Amino acid sequence: MMPWRMFALGAILLMLTGCRRVEGRKLVFVIVPSQDNPFFKAEADAAAAEAQRLGYATRVEAHDDDAYRQDNLIDAAIASNASAIVLDNAGSDSSVSAVRRAAVKGIPVFLVDREIEISGIAKAQIIADNDQGARLVAAEFVRSMPRKGDYAELLGRESDTNAQIRTKGFHAVLDRETGLKLVSAQSANWSQSEAFQKTETMLQAHPSIAGIIAGNDTMALGAAAAVKSAGLNGMRIVGFDGSPDAIAAIRAGEMQATSLQPAVYIARMAVDEADRYMKSGSTGAPERQIVPCDLVTRSNATNYGNFEKLR
Amino acid sequence: MNSVVQTLTNSDRLASSSARAVLILLRARAFLVLFLLLALFSWMAPAFLTANNFSILAKHVAISAILAIGMTFVVLTGGIDLSVGSVAGLGGMIAGYVVTQGIAFSGTNHFSSVFVAVVATFAVCLLVGALNGWLVAKVGIAPFIATLGTLYVARGAALLLSNGKTFPNLAGAPDQPRTGFSTIGQSCFIHVPTPVWIMAALFVFAAFVAAKTPLGRHVYAVGGNERAARLAGIRVPRVKIVSYIFSSLCAACVGLIIASQLEAAHPATGETFELNAIAAVVLGGTSLMGGRGSVLGSLIGAFVIGVLADGLVMLGVSEFWQMVIKGLVIVLAVAVDQLQSRLQAKFLPLLLRSSSQAGA
Repeated sequence: MMPWRMFALGAILLMLTGCRRVEGRKLVFVIVPSQDNPFFKAEADAAAAEAQRLGYATRVEAHDDDAYRQDNLIDAAIASNASAIVLDNAGSDSSVSAVRRAAVKGIPVFLVDREIEISGIAKAQIIADNDQGARLVAAEFVRSMPRKGDYAELLGRESDTNAQIRTKGFHAVLDRETGLKLVSAQSANWSQSEAFQKTETMLQAHPSIAGIIAGNDTMALGAAAAVKSAGLNGMRIVGFDGSPDAIAAIRAGEMQATSLQPAVYIARMAVDEADRYMKSGSTGAPERQIVPCDLVTRSNATNYGNFEKLR
Repeated sequence: MNSVVQTLTNSDRLASSSARAVLILLRARAFLVLFLLLALFSWMAPAFLTANNFSILAKHVAISAILAIGMTFVVLTGGIDLSVGSVAGLGGMIAGYVVTQGIAFSGTNHFSSVFVAVVATFAVCLLVGALNGWLVAKVGIAPFIATLGTLYVARGAALLLSNGKTFPNLAGAPDQPRTGFSTIGQSCFIHVPTPVWIMAALFVFAAFVAAKTPLGRHVYAVGGNERAARLAGIRVPRVKIVSYIFSSLCAACVGLIIASQLEAAHPATGETFELNAIAAVVLGGTSLMGGRGSVLGSLIGAFVIGVLADGLVMLGVSEFWQMVIKGLVIVLAVAVDQLQSRLQAKFLPLLLRSSSQAGA
């Protein structure tokens, strides 16, 4: 009697799980660097919202820029039978094996925001044009500065690819201006409180500083707070990312400009292409796609919202 | 015969006096390092030796100094508090929450004064400190593990509070009671920034408690020999819990100062601050085994780290080298600490002998 009952129970359980799989929605796994950064948060939220709109179940995770953690999350996505992975990766070189592992298991990976060197293992690599954005905001910085003047630069975490691309883009424009002189360059590791302290110290060492160019908006806001606390007027500060806080600071006149990365647009694009790939077997677009950044200044600040252009 | 004895005591006396000089130098090593760094940077960076720069330098030092002052008591009891950075982050977020969201009370939101925000911050951080102390003293979890746990819990709580977002614009509008939050970190009193006054007040208070009150003696006794302290009738758990609470309250001050300086509360604020605080305590000569050390030492240790950081920025040294140099200074300081205890063990009999002779 007992074996039969167990068999019946097992059969019922199997039917139940089978049913759930049939009516269960396909899963889109979204992995971003962190959820405490407004940029990545907007990116993750936009991807999840778009996937839900298209009828998918979603799961959002963060790897904290830790390649090992990213590895574990990819394993979790494989184990939970994800149908697609949207990934903002943890570093171009350290992410290749994780992306390849998912691809080998037949799960398409769609990279957003940061690319990897190797082509052909991700279905799409959609990134904002950091170089063009950096040149754009540097040109606006030059326009706002006096013809001759000293400036300082706050760099992002120096091991980060985007920090390097942005500073290169800044200097492609700034180094041509013979009147402008870089008197101090320091890394503030993308952090607001670190940028605050470093700016205060830089202003002490070089009272002649008339402008500060920062690798992201968080650091630009830290610099703006330090300038305010020093009681200086007319300092030109530009950032990068287009965060809502920076746009508010631009409208208040505390910052001159920022380069808005269309993170929301890119995240939606990645999910749309994932959807097309799952339905037709092709994304209908080349693997590498580059989306230009927008320059946000006081004159057009009202047109921009949470990392997207409002209509 | 007589002359031989005379020469022996003479050479003894010479050895003991030079040993005493070396020990005094070693004890004052944090002072010496600080003095050397100040001299070096004043010489190399022209704007370093100005009143204005010192005021800003002291303001930067205040952050790690306040954490180090609190940490000193915990380390003196033989413990460690890894949660201070996270607690500072949580404190800033609590203040940011109360200032921007108000407190929901019987269905409506009450926008409260800055005073209420500060009290709420201290209340929450006090609870975290009490939790740390309770876990260590009553449950018996090793301090490293217990505070590592609260490090994650407090950071998670800070993120949950805003769902990962920053609370911006804490300066507020003039018609709201929340204006004035920025005074905590940004104002000056007799030309000295308020955070430096907070640091000074906490230092005076902590140094007084450590040196002049029974509680202070109990803290040293618990760290020196916990069993003996218990047998002597000291309520060991209470001493430990009070130490962890004080450390968390110091962290709350830091959280408030940073949120006020930036006029924004970010949930990731304070990451790795605990390492700077521990480094300052160790540089100041407090033993991680407990029972030996001083609040003044930690303050000087914090100044060494702060002067090093700001001076290197003024010289334009890259971030990577800054980290290498900071690490070397910390290791060097602990190496000298070891040397001091070894020398002390070697020369102490000699010193005692010479002083007893002097007495005789």
